[in-house]
Amino acid sequence: MKIYDMLIMCLRNLWRRKGRTLLTVIGVVIGSCAVIVMISLGLGMSQAMDNMMETWGDLTAVTIYNGGGGGMYYADGGMSTQSSDKDKPKLNDEALAMLSSIDHVSYIIPKMEVPAEMVTVVSGKNDRYKLTWANIVGVDLLILDKMKYTAEQGEMPTAKNKDSALVFGSEIAYQFMDTKKHGSAAFTYKQQLPDGSWSKPFIETVGGTIKIAINNSKKQNEDGSYQYGGKGYEYKFTGTTVLQQDPLWETPNSLLIDIEAAKKIISDYNRLNNVKNAGNPEYSQVKLSVDSINNVEAVHKAVEELGFNAVSMAKERNEMQGQLGVIQMVLGGLAAISLLVAAISITNTMIMSIYERTKEIGIMKVLGCFIGNIRIIFLMEAGLIGLLGGIIGTIISFIISAVMNSLGSSGLSDMFGIYTEGGGQVSIIPVWLVLLALVFSTVIGLISGFYPANRAVRISALEAIRNE
Amino acid sequence: MAFIEVKNLRKVYKLGNEKVYALRKIDLEIEKGEICCILGTSGSGKSTLLNMLAGLEKPTRGDIIINGTNISKLSEKKLARFRQENTGFIFQSYNLINQYNALENVGMPLMFKGVPPSKRDRQAEKMLKLVGLESRKKHRPNQMSGGQQQRVGIARAFVAKPNVVFADEPTGNLDTKTTDDVMRLMVRMCRKYGITLILVTHDLEIADYADRIVHITDGEVTGIEDHVSSYDPEKDNEAGASEKNAETERSAEKNDPGQTEKK
Ligand SMILES: Nc1ncnc2c1ncn2[C@@H]1O[C@H](COP(=O)(O)OP(=O)(O)OP(=O)(O)O)[C@@H](O)[C@H]1O
Ligand SMILES: [Mg+2]
Repeated sequence: MKIYDMLIMCLRNLWRRKGRTLLTVIGVVIGSCAVIVMISLGLGMSQAMDNMMETWGDLTAVTIYNGGGGGMYYADGGMSTQSSDKDKPKLNDEALAMLSSIDHVSYIIPKMEVPAEMVTVVSGKNDRYKLTWANIVGVDLLILDKMKYTAEQGEMPTAKNKDSALVFGSEIAYQFMDTKKHGSAAFTYKQQLPDGSWSKPFIETVGGTIKIAINNSKKQNEDGSYQYGGKGYEYKFTGTTVLQQDPLWETPNSLLIDIEAAKKIISDYNRLNNVKNAGNPEYSQVKLSVDSINNVEAVHKAVEELGFNAVSMAKERNEMQGQLGVIQMVLGGLAAISLLVAAISITNTMIMSIYERTKEIGIMKVLGCFIGNIRIIFLMEAGLIGLLGGIIGTIISFIISAVMNSLGSSGLSDMFGIYTEGGGQVSIIPVWLVLLALVFSTVIGLISGFYPANRAVRISALEAIRNE
Repeated sequence: MAFIEVKNLRKVYKLGNEKVYALRKIDLEIEKGEICCILGTSGSGKSTLLNMLAGLEKPTRGDIIINGTNISKLSEKKLARFRQENTGFIFQSYNLINQYNALENVGMPLMFKGVPPSKRDRQAEKMLKLVGLESRKKHRPNQMSGGQQQRVGIARAFVAKPNVVFADEPTGNLDTKTTDDVMRLMVRMCRKYGITLILVTHDLEIADYADRIVHITDGEVTGIEDHVSSYDPEKDNEAGASEKNAETERSAEKNDPGQTEKK
């Protein structure tokens, strides 16, 4: 017997008992709907959770801070990292090579802070405006986009101008003080003016020239500040960009220069001040970008195995996902019960159908139908009920999901204590869930049809065709 | 060796402590192309014998060898294949499947064999033409008379050109006139394709169509007689088999006001 003949036979049988088929299918529809919607809610919750955590930090990043702490330097004639542990590996170029070879690390972003004591930052005629706290960070200026920073004014630096480019954090321009004035007149503040624009700092940002002068630690001015190193120890940078405030507040109070420029400044400082044993320059911070959120934990572990102190959201995320998992399992369990009921009703329908068709089955056997074919016909029938229920259930689930999403996050997600940021979806139905639901409901149908099909196979041809 | 050999066949039914000896000791040989009638009174064991010959029931003891295959030793699975390849079956109560039309009912054995639909329909249509029911091919069994249904049943039994066709009182529910039509039809089909027919009846008049008559009484063969049928399809006064039936069909339809297809 050909497969399509069996299929047609099944479809006709199902069609012949439309009403009963429909009722059974509805059972499966409810069951599969329940499963899909519950799982989609679970997915929505975990998505909402990720969205929420993203506001706390980059979920795919593992960040290494030098010395395990804030990466502070102490300059007392020399430079030393605060590392109390001599075994700790140094966060230098060698370390970078090791870190970038860790699996699943797609790229790394090293940062080198120029300690504020090393330099003086000034701008304007006769160095009139001076930066109160020289927070200079060396970083690869060409990947600012990749770090999700956006320009508020000006353009991002390019390969051509990056060597002397200087990128302002959103707030730092206001931290230049006017050395000619006193009291509050010497300072500016970032504030919105009545016409909606921002107040202007003293200095010119984009296009302006900023001088970074290396301090001579031996020579102090009367006010306690260090004197500049003088000729050969001054660098002129051109402002190219003012960044928008980034959500993690990493840049607002920094001046960004190219990492090579930062290295040079540090080594020049060491030369000027005769610092010995400075060794290779160390990075203050290295951020590893991981290819997938699911690999963050593994990368975090690998980094710690190398001896570095790392920070990532992996642990927090795992904990929260774990709690979510419990909720999801409870929801899924409830849904599974309705699918179980559907399975029982499929079995029931099939048994009734076989009861009615005993004679037909007998005739088929006498006419030479293989018992294997009879089994397949009934399994197919049950499987089709499952599949049909699954298909309709999926369609209805999409509708339910759309309705819930349009009603917004207020209801259900709050119920389970998960706060969704605006734009988050309450219910998410990915393709795999659709496929899973279809396969699952079909398998449920097949399993439910197993016993009835065996009964059909065991019907004695002779008994069935005996005259009643 | 004969086409069908039955050796020392016994069938005992156990009903609690009581034993019913349906068949005591049957030895029988049937040649290929023969029309063999098993004749006996009610309860003599005719149906039991036929069912065992058709492989629908297992003998208590003894062997049935058809075309060199000992079917009493076959597994359920192999029996199904054997039936599919070798046998046709005609029932007293027609046993057509009500949800399928005449064409589909006739094509059923071919469907089980895996014949594709187009070819199946062509063969089934040819068969329906032979039994004179061409115009009824889209009708369902419950829209047909008993005689018509039995002719569909005959078409179904012969459509796959089996080696042997079994018929258990095929005319048991029909009137005398229709009985004759149906019997002649079966004989013509057997002769046409060289098919062996084993026929169960208690009616002497039907036995008249047989080449050989096997008398059964109380589960025992009490006599086998060779017989020359008074019906010879070659000398059938009507021009040809299918035409004759087509005509019967037409005359039958004159009395059928619901019939509109015919011109
Ligand atoms: N399944 C069964 N269980 C018990 N006894 C049975 C069974 N089938 C048949 N018999 C018995 O076997 C004997 C033969 O029955 P069978 O049906 O072969 O008779 P038959 O010759 O076909 O009669 P009829 O012409 O009335 O159909 C009967 O006595 C019957 O009671
Ligand atoms: Mg009988």
